[in-house]
Amino acid sequence: MHQPLSLFHKWIQENNELVNKWKVGSQQLSVDHYLHMYFISLLSFPQCPCPAGIAPIADHTQLELTVVYNAGVCLIAQSQFLEAESLLTKATERILQMTGDGPFASDPPVFWKTALKSVGNTALNRCVMHLLCLQWAIWLATCKLQTIQELQLLSVFETLSSGVWDEEGSAPRTKSSDIALPVMDQRRLIELLQICTFIAQGAERLSEGRSSEALSGLQSASSLPAPRTLISYTHLLSGSCLAHMSRPQMALQCYRMALETDSQCVCALYQSMLIYRQLGNTQAEIQALRLLHSTLMLPAAKEPSPAGVHLLPSSLLLQSQSLSSLLSVPSALSVLHSLALKCVLHERVAEGVEYYLDLLAALHSEDQHGVHAAGPPLPKLPELYLQAGAALLMARRPADCMALCDEVITTTLELLPGKVVLKEPEECEAETRALCEEVEDGVGMLLWVGAAYLLQGHCHTHLRDWKQAVTTYTRCFNLLVKVRFKKRGDADMMSMQGTDLCILQRLKGLSLAGRGISFTQTDQLREALRDLQLSIQAFPGGTGAGLWCGEVLWRLGRKQEAVACWERTWSFTPHFSELSLAVYLQEPQSGPLLDSTELRRRIEELSPI
Amino acid sequence: VMEGRCAVETWAEFGFSGTPCAPWLQVAFGTDVLLFAGTDEVFVFSSHERKLTVTSIVSSYECVFSYVTIHLCRAGSPPADAHRGPAELKLTSEFLAFAEEGVLSLLLVGSVLLTLSQRRSSWTLTLYGSSDYEVLRSVSLASGVVHNETGTRRRPPLTCVRSSAATPPPSASSSVSDGCLCLEPILFKRLFGIDAALAKSPVVLCGLPDGRLCFLPLRPPGSRLAVLHSLEQPVVFVGASGVTDNGRGHARCLVAVGEQGKVVLIQAEKGGAEGGADRTGFTEGCVPGPVACGCVDEKRLYYSTGSDLLVLDLPEESPERDGPSVEKSRVTHAALQSPSSLNVCRVLALAPPTRSTAGEVELLGLSARGQLQRITLPVDRGDAGWPNAPSTPGGRGVRDLLSAIGDVCERAAALKAAVKSKNQILRRLNQVLNICFLLTADTNTGERDKPIGCRATASWSRLLEEDSLTLTCVLDNSSPYVLERGWTLSVAASPLSGPPAAGGQSPSAHFSFPFHGLHPGETLEVSLPLAAAGQSSLPVTASCSLSFSLAGLLGEEAAALPGLQPGCVSLPLNTLTVDWLHALRVTSPAHGKTPPQSGNTSDAIQAFLRSRRMGCDVGLSLSVVHGRDPSGHPVKLTAKEVKDRTLNPRRFEEETTPTAVEVQVESSSVAAVCGLHHAVLTRIQVPEVTESGALSFSMVSREAR
Repeated sequence: MHQPLSLFHKWIQENNELVNKWKVGSQQLSVDHYLHMYFISLLSFPQCPCPAGIAPIADHTQLELTVVYNAGVCLIAQSQFLEAESLLTKATERILQMTGDGPFASDPPVFWKTALKSVGNTALNRCVMHLLCLQWAIWLATCKLQTIQELQLLSVFETLSSGVWDEEGSAPRTKSSDIALPVMDQRRLIELLQICTFIAQGAERLSEGRSSEALSGLQSASSLPAPRTLISYTHLLSGSCLAHMSRPQMALQCYRMALETDSQCVCALYQSMLIYRQLGNTQAEIQALRLLHSTLMLPAAKEPSPAGVHLLPSSLLLQSQSLSSLLSVPSALSVLHSLALKCVLHERVAEGVEYYLDLLAALHSEDQHGVHAAGPPLPKLPELYLQAGAALLMARRPADCMALCDEVITTTLELLPGKVVLKEPEECEAETRALCEEVEDGVGMLLWVGAAYLLQGHCHTHLRDWKQAVTTYTRCFNLLVKVRFKKRGDADMMSMQGTDLCILQRLKGLSLAGRGISFTQTDQLREALRDLQLSIQAFPGGTGAGLWCGEVLWRLGRKQEAVACWERTWSFTPHFSELSLAVYLQEPQSGPLLDSTELRRRIEELSPI
Repeated sequence: VMEGRCAVETWAEFGFSGTPCAPWLQVAFGTDVLLFAGTDEVFVFSSHERKLTVTSIVSSYECVFSYVTIHLCRAGSPPADAHRGPAELKLTSEFLAFAEEGVLSLLLVGSVLLTLSQRRSSWTLTLYGSSDYEVLRSVSLASGVVHNETGTRRRPPLTCVRSSAATPPPSASSSVSDGCLCLEPILFKRLFGIDAALAKSPVVLCGLPDGRLCFLPLRPPGSRLAVLHSLEQPVVFVGASGVTDNGRGHARCLVAVGEQGKVVLIQAEKGGAEGGADRTGFTEGCVPGPVACGCVDEKRLYYSTGSDLLVLDLPEESPERDGPSVEKSRVTHAALQSPSSLNVCRVLALAPPTRSTAGEVELLGLSARGQLQRITLPVDRGDAGWPNAPSTPGGRGVRDLLSAIGDVCERAAALKAAVKSKNQILRRLNQVLNICFLLTADTNTGERDKPIGCRATASWSRLLEEDSLTLTCVLDNSSPYVLERGWTLSVAASPLSGPPAAGGQSPSAHFSFPFHGLHPGETLEVSLPLAAAGQSSLPVTASCSLSFSLAGLLGEEAAALPGLQPGCVSLPLNTLTVDWLHALRVTSPAHGKTPPQSGNTSDAIQAFLRSRRMGCDVGLSLSVVHGRDPSGHPVKLTAKEVKDRTLNPRRFEEETTPTAVEVQVESSSVAAVCGLHHAVLTRIQVPEVTESGALSFSMVSREAR
């Protein structure tokens, strides 16, 4: 009439149908199916002490636990960690109570410790271990590395994977319809968990400064069987460890291995670039930046993953803050900007100009490719315009430079406040922050417009249009004098490096120098001398201003003063390098130049007398 | 009162009524009006030909927005369809470009398509490329508290703003740039920053239901979604006004209107002479609400409260160049307080006004009855002066006195009424508190003898050709107090075990039955559907509770107050379980004695169970119940007495011969077998243990033949 096992078989059948359908791809895997099955199984096998019982049959239990395993995988894949955790512990507790154990602690680590102990070496061991794997995945995904370490999961499963699991594989089994299929192969899961744990631990230790400890774990992990992306992570993190241990060359080796393992590993490129920058190898740095940019602009290729792994992607398991900060890469646009700036600053102007133009084009397009929130934000657009303008002028394209500066001026000019007060930074803190920012914004805008006028003046100088140059430099200067200092301390150049005050003084110095030089070209020597001297006063150490001041003095017949002025200029050691200033604040290279050897010859002619 | 009334001409009737979401109108391609009423139909009205095209959309509400745009994008020129094509145009799923859940609003800017959607606790603006509908970017903002009193689903205003200094890109078609508001450059820069101005970027403005006005510059890439202002009430409308004729005709003022009548004008202010900081001026004012929809032209804001269409003159004056700004804001405030009525009622949606050749302002409106109306305003209303012109001082004195007397009388009457109603409320509150104490005291002593309680029976009934399981609950008031108006019996039915729905909660159905008074000794019987045949997930627990809304005490007027958080007292009564045995439909009698009674399932089962317990001595060895489970599968319950000592000998070795009862559940459905097993088990567990008998189960799932 009926077979007593038919119910049992029906479940297996249902489970396997679901798994197979999903593997073929005809059905979305739904956690609901599994939970439903599990609840039905709960109703059918009520918990002991049930009156007069059917003793729990091992097969039934294994089936039930496989269903729980499948449900757990689905829940974790949907990031429902709390639900998954409670399902796992409840199911395990139920099974263990049926065998007569309990009660159990509610704290998960303690719970699993006792569970493992009570399971011992029974047939249930493997099933419970599978559930523990899922718990491991949950701990990993929720960054509870401490717990994983506490239970020594890595070593527990390492011994297991070499022992029991192989046995299982080789042992002949009963026909497949008798076994409930898992939705994700357990051995794959363990492999995935092992490497991800190594990576997460490595990142954690690295961020805590325990580099050598992290390194040993990561290097042992790099030989584990795992997807290429994860292997490349181990190389990458090893590289970072070595970089922290001041072994840049070895770090570069590791980054290279990461790239060889996975060509999509942009982070390795980025980290190599940082190493080159640290080593001062500019050409290599530029090369790395260029590669990084072109890689970032590539559409992300999808690597085919082995079956079952894509159910639990590694990104789900690797969510720790320290790892994501180690893996973060600036956006394609900021890489492009660094590349452009580096080229311009290191005598590759033509290339740099092209990159700047690419950057501006990208900023004007609606294409949002390569934009993500990570990394430092790009400088404000006016800043970029000015840098690009300076680069264009260096590349002897004054008309283009003027157009860019015009954009900045027309956009910003009408927003400029009538009066600007520049405060000392420490005083600023005392004021309310909002007000302070507003004022700073006003100063910032004013400095942009000033710099734009300055660049335009340089352009006119370049075109030898002295009259226009004088007008433009005057505009620049008139704008700059609108700024008043709240507190006029002693102008210590060291302390004000990089501040708005420093930029302001530099702009004043350069604009006055530019106007003075223009006056010398139209033989207005008196005006020229005044401007050049004011320039030196505003910003000591300006080479152009110093040399031309001497030249004017010479022409005026004040030769001793001229010599003193030149000597002073040559002997002046700047408090900070020119490179720390924005590219548009550097001494113009395109104006009329004085030949230093010629000047020295003149000094020598003068001094023997 | 106004000289010359508005001329209202009905163009077309759509005949829709009360949809859950607010309708909207859009003028497309100059002469065509697109009308979306929240159903699965979009109406296209050609104002040239006065002809209507219905575009049916075969989809859910969420997808509608995407369909409409797809239609516009792909078909390119709907007017062509409207002229020659059929009156109805079906859009099938092949038009679907992308599906996104929870889309509230949609906007096309150049080659970018934007959707605003609400997901869990955040607002998300998603950018799609309009050629391949690939997601370009997605920006989110944590959602604030949504103040929604009306309960209608409103489309948050989503508009695009450009600086007039930035010429629209040549690739954009004319209709698209039409949809963009053009702002004066200085205001644009002040509001959206230099970066957006330098990048000549369009900026998307978005008025959220939580009251925030947000903006997102599309360029440079990576710009963030930022908050411009907060209206603290759902934003109904965002537009630009104060268009100057010189130059390109850009607007100098951004206008945002909230649901409860808050109007915010955003202008660039020159801070007077030397030294004063230039700033952006946010002028706030209030007009009598609620505002259902609105639109602006150069000088005026038109808005509908649902009962009237009003017009508000916006301050035309360009921002003060000199002089104290205090005076200016006062002027604005005064102007904002006096909207004038146009005497057109029940307008639910408005399209931007146009000016006819004769200089008349024409509005296009949609009435609550589904009429598309053209509303023509009288000419030169502004020059004719305000309708309520000042009268002579003497006359005003008498009128003021009379109205003052009237005011005092009204106030006295109102105060009396208030005192009376307060007394009433106190009396009712006393009753409520008595009942609260009664029920809370009882929970401590035990559940058995609650003076107010619920009992229930489950039964099958046939409704509309479909069998459904109905739970009949009886609320019994055996307390000395009256359950007055304001009490509600709530029953929450939730499956005891079952697959959780998406989101992790188990699905439960809540039923509330407000009643008007239950005197001592009276009972209240309510029925609630548990499940239709085949859809149940048993067992179900029904938790009964009595709740009392404090808002109910205050009366309807107070309850309708905006911002009132209605407090509620909820007292649990008892919890009932409906399991598979309750839901079993018995088809044949238990051991052949009782006649078949379809409605009395529980009796038959009770008899069946009892027979086994008593039947030990009688020697009756077999009883059978045939039935059907909720899904209709045949079920057979057999109880058999066996004297079997081998059964679990370990436990009963030393005891007297146990009497074992074997209950066999047979069905072709796995679920039924498991469910019945569970149900039988819960019933027999307690008695069996005390009688130290043994029970054995065999579950048989048989294939249906």
